[in-house]
Amino acid sequence: MEQGPPSKTTGEPSREKCIDPYLRCAFNGAAQTALGISGSALLAHSPQGCEYLVNNAFASQECDYMETVTLCTKLCVDEIVHGGEEMLARTIREARDLPISVLFVISACGPEIVGDDIRAVCETLQPEVKFRLIPIQSPGFRGSQYDGIDIALDTILKSLVKKDTEKVPHSVCLIAPHANANPTWTADLAWAKRVLSRMGIQVVATLTHRTPLSEIEKAASAETSLLLSHDAGQDAVAYLEEAHGIEPVGRGIPLPVGMTNTQRWLSALGERFDKQKAVEEMIAEGERMVMATCRRKWPMARFLYRTPAAIVADATVGIPLVRFVTEEMEMTPELVALYTSHRPVRELLESELKDLKLTPKVVYGTDVFRTRMSLLEVKPRVIFGSTIERHASEGLSPVYIVEVVRMIRQFRMINREYFGYTGILNLFEAVQNEWTMGWRSKERRYGAKW
Amino acid sequence: MENDAIVFHGTLQQLLGKVESGEMIPKLQASHAPMCKFFTAYYVISGIRHVVPLVHGPTGCPLYMSDFVRTRECCEIRGVPLEPTACTALDESHVIYGGEGKLLEAVKEAYAKYHPDLIVILSCCCSGIIGDDVESIAREAEKLVGCRVLALRSEGFGGDFRSGYEDAFKLIMELMDPPARTMKGTINILGARWGPSPTEFSWDLDEIERLLALVGIKTNAVIAGGCTVEQIRHAREVELNASWCYDWGQKLGDLMQERFGIPYSRTGQPYGVEATKEWLLGVATPLGMEKEALAVIEKETQEVAPDIAYLNQALSGKTAIIEISEFPGPIRALSLARMAAEFGAHPVVINVHPYTIKERMPSIKFLLESGVNPEVILTKGLFRLGSFRSSKETEEELEAIVRQYEKPLFFGNSGRFPPCPVVNLTLMNPMFQPQYGFRGIKNIAALVRQALEHKDLPRSRLFRGMLYGTGTPQ
Repeated sequence: MEQGPPSKTTGEPSREKCIDPYLRCAFNGAAQTALGISGSALLAHSPQGCEYLVNNAFASQECDYMETVTLCTKLCVDEIVHGGEEMLARTIREARDLPISVLFVISACGPEIVGDDIRAVCETLQPEVKFRLIPIQSPGFRGSQYDGIDIALDTILKSLVKKDTEKVPHSVCLIAPHANANPTWTADLAWAKRVLSRMGIQVVATLTHRTPLSEIEKAASAETSLLLSHDAGQDAVAYLEEAHGIEPVGRGIPLPVGMTNTQRWLSALGERFDKQKAVEEMIAEGERMVMATCRRKWPMARFLYRTPAAIVADATVGIPLVRFVTEEMEMTPELVALYTSHRPVRELLESELKDLKLTPKVVYGTDVFRTRMSLLEVKPRVIFGSTIERHASEGLSPVYIVEVVRMIRQFRMINREYFGYTGILNLFEAVQNEWTMGWRSKERRYGAKW
Repeated sequence: MENDAIVFHGTLQQLLGKVESGEMIPKLQASHAPMCKFFTAYYVISGIRHVVPLVHGPTGCPLYMSDFVRTRECCEIRGVPLEPTACTALDESHVIYGGEGKLLEAVKEAYAKYHPDLIVILSCCCSGIIGDDVESIAREAEKLVGCRVLALRSEGFGGDFRSGYEDAFKLIMELMDPPARTMKGTINILGARWGPSPTEFSWDLDEIERLLALVGIKTNAVIAGGCTVEQIRHAREVELNASWCYDWGQKLGDLMQERFGIPYSRTGQPYGVEATKEWLLGVATPLGMEKEALAVIEKETQEVAPDIAYLNQALSGKTAIIEISEFPGPIRALSLARMAAEFGAHPVVINVHPYTIKERMPSIKFLLESGVNPEVILTKGLFRLGSFRSSKETEEELEAIVRQYEKPLFFGNSGRFPPCPVVNLTLMNPMFQPQYGFRGIKNIAALVRQALEHKDLPRSRLFRGMLYGTGTPQ
């Protein structure tokens, strides 16, 4: 069995034996990454239940079922006892007429434990099919969904990226936009692409979201890489730097959520690409727009001055929120609980807390039980989190639960970014709606006479 | 009927024969994957209150379940609190060295954290393959905590979705104490899966319980539809078991009859007057309450007499094309076929997959024994790679089939666009639920009325394009 990278969620060994996790397994993360490549299909070499994790990844990447097919070998006892390679070969042959450029074969726990060699099967079958066969060994036990994203990115970069491509001046490769708990994270990606375009920076590849194979192949032509997650993708950034000389930008600063974070993030890009003037204009214009909008719409968040708050999220949304909640919304984070616990996450959060002179209770690698216990202990009055915290805070004094990370109850037909200036308004809107609902009374009621 | 797209055209009995003889292979294509044994076992177990389903595996397996448990489906809407979806989070080292020690600790920890009435260890692929002895750990752990600890071998590869349900129901029997008394006029309703996970819709169960209460029959437990461990402990004290859906209750009913001698009422789903009558009498008669039941049936029938008259008038002489897709599902579709025939229509069931025949064999045979043997058509689209939802081919085939029948009326869901009135029987529209019992007759009559009265209104180009693309229909 191949040794994987150290787990994202076990940076510090947990003493707990029974956990109620927020994060899915590596198999799901790998599927999420593979499904971000357009013109591809995904074959889960797994029992049929794992296909549901693929479905979840399918939804997260906003795939269109008229364009993307997912398949499953549906392994049963026979294949676990005698091996499932034959079944895998049969299923690949079944898919031979699919109009795709790549078929990703992702193996789950069962076949990995019994030793199915999916690489060998793919190599053997390759001459029989017109599309590329890319095996990804990412069984659930390899770690969390973030580990799966890293495993899949590693495979994709090593198998598909062409070497010795000519560098494109002022270009960037975007990494791991999908490792983001904003339920409509694709809007964050779209915002990043818009500002890069405005700065004249070319995106040569996005790893991954609706990314054609041709884009992946030329990823090495990027001058720089830009990581759009604090939870996954660091390994891909390091690999691109080492193997292809691609320089990482924006490292060590929180993603652009809130005015100060956006300013810092844009400025870092402006400096690297010598586009300071354009960036200054974007910042001035964005801040003007946010202030003017707030002047007209009056965000109620302003009434929550120094209200004790909790942030329960992934690091990608959670860390930038710390400054946004403290500085722009003027609340006081008293609990920060993050799903992950690896060193870069700790370092970034600790640097932010130090800079802001905040001393909240911090929980790394939280699970639902630890979150509930922390909420009971800290008793925040506003929680930035998910529907889970809405339910987990039952029994606490009246609190606003601003649902900003998945799972959220409110369905969003339109994708909304948290990044950038409109992102600030989107987050204010979430607070506003919760504030409005908070005035409803379930106790003091009387019926109308008509 | 001549149509190149048709793979099978005959009766349900003939289709069953072809599946049994191996002429039609009961295998779904690679793009269609039902739930695995683990998921369905989890569904059943989570229908017991204050249970910790402790998944002995990596985090992916319980997370799919908790998506249901933790979102809109619990708390405010369904009155189910935030329940744990705990797991041992097995990693590579456990796969190599074994996870039994961690599991034992996890059970103790789960008890300390959640104070449950019951802990059920659910093994999944990893723990199953590496051979962790979950049953022995459960026995050991039970000595160390203050509640029952059971183990269920529910590895995803270990069986199809059906085996998860059945093994979980079988496991629940271990919680049933020997009877200290007999609860007169009391039954258990079997086969429900109504915990934090939204596998079932409560309206039909509510209608059954309403009718039982009118007769004077009490319900000890709906197993496992939000029942307590205490109710399960007393499950052997009832006079009779009944099922809310023959398909799901049958296994547990048969087992309880065999092992404990508790009679089991074998009846189909109460769709329409006759099936509802059969269901209620099937329960009341063995309890000696036939007279009371007949009185309730008479009164309820009178109350829906205008709806019955309407259904007779609306369906008589029509062809009821009933499609099995995501909703209403195969057994409901066959129950609907019976109801359509009762109201004078000729039922034709479209696309009951040979896989469904195999997986639901006892129920299919029971329905055939009860005289339900509709005309069945299977089309090529059913066997192609692709999603059920995006089955453009199946849509086109359905449209072609409908054109070949006299006075067709489509019973299915509004995701289809046949050139005839569409009776939208989806269970996703709570406005016209229940479909069971007398209230169901009222609702189905309303749905048929909508379909017929508004048959000339334009269908949504938007939804059609969304589902099948914008190509011109053939």
